[in-house]
Amino acid sequence: MTPVWRGILALVLAAGAQVLLSRYFPAAGKMVDFYTVLVMYYAVSRRRVAVMVMGTTAGLVEDLLTHTVLGMNAFKKTLVGYVMGTLGSFFMLSQPLPRFGVLFLATVLEALTEAGLVLVLGQHVVLPSAGDLIRLGMGNGLVGILIYWMVSKLE
Amino acid sequence: MSMNRSFPERRPFFLLVLILASLLILMSHQVRTGQGNTLLEDSLLNVSSPLVKGASGGVGLLSGLWQGYVDLRGARGENLALKSNLERMEEVGRVGEEFRRENLRLRDLLELQRSLEIPSLAAAVVSLGVSSQARTALINRGSKDGVKRDMPVISRKGVVGRIIAVGSGMAKVQLLIDPNSGVAGIFQRSRGQGMVVGVGDRGCRMDYVSDLEDVAVGDVVVTSGLDEIYPKGVTVGVVFSVAEGDQLTKNIFIRPEVDFRHLEEVLVLLTSQEAAGHADLSQ
Repeated sequence: MTPVWRGILALVLAAGAQVLLSRYFPAAGKMVDFYTVLVMYYAVSRRRVAVMVMGTTAGLVEDLLTHTVLGMNAFKKTLVGYVMGTLGSFFMLSQPLPRFGVLFLATVLEALTEAGLVLVLGQHVVLPSAGDLIRLGMGNGLVGILIYWMVSKLE
Repeated sequence: MSMNRSFPERRPFFLLVLILASLLILMSHQVRTGQGNTLLEDSLLNVSSPLVKGASGGVGLLSGLWQGYVDLRGARGENLALKSNLERMEEVGRVGEEFRRENLRLRDLLELQRSLEIPSLAAAVVSLGVSSQARTALINRGSKDGVKRDMPVISRKGVVGRIIAVGSGMAKVQLLIDPNSGVAGIFQRSRGQGMVVGVGDRGCRMDYVSDLEDVAVGDVVVTSGLDEIYPKGVTVGVVFSVAEGDQLTKNIFIRPEVDFRHLEEVLVLLTSQEAAGHADLSQ
């Protein structure tokens, strides 16, 4: 399977998982963002162009499925993916703990990016509560470590 | 890290900027501002408004200049048309004035014709013949109109002359000022008689007036009818010079009442020679 098809498959799985979780377990759906986990996986393991392509695509799919402003999630995931990918190139991110840190940091950065973007667009900024943000960051970190381990086993 | 990195190394960054810019545009197209426009529309409006204003100002300026040029061209064309109209109207006015003057003259002539007991015929002067020895005029009436030789020709002011040649549609008039013309005249005031002869442009001279005759400058001379050509009482002219002659006569010069340089319409008196001398127009 080519990297493109693998990327598409990964995106379909992430989107499916997010939709199903949000629909049947809404509380759990707020504690994990499979799109971010996917993009950050690309950030720590792929080249920056691939990260940006995945960030944009995943973000647009998320925007379409969640009916938010088209481009909002794409923008923040592309930017954060690029930044984290650039930073990740300076560090060893093969271990679970650094990857947890990357996922947690990416979650926070995404929230801040979204707030900044909303501000730039002239809309009312509603920052997520710290608790929600921490829960989401930790959820992303834990789920991400699990998924990354599973993928490494598959590869 | 080198500051001069090559394009392939910077390509991801450019791609990032391109993607983010595209996404920003995409988002700004969806987000509406307080004015009800999308953010993209507002942004484009803000960016483009100075350009549009500048362009609009430039276009307005050019449009104004062009409109001015067009107006100027229009004004020039209008000016030419108005000038043409004015010239045409002036010509119409001149023609009208000519008709008005002719009408006045003809009315005068008509009044004179009505006042005469003798039948008369109006005629227009076609040309004036001026030579060193002769003062004549051609009129547009001839034998077919009943004009005959020696018929007197007068105007409202007085004696013009007599017919000396007749064609079918034209006749030649020997003017009063012709050196060969002769009219029997009489001073209206003193009733002294004499023979009025033409002296060309200087007017007329009255011969055969006795040295004893009471003649003064300003005396009016009328026809006496003795020449059997001109009816009696038609004005000939006014004495403007009286001097002692050398053979018991006076040297009297008369200024004709008729202006022969501006002669246009005349009356031909349709008289026979016998009747002419007995007619009296002094009334």
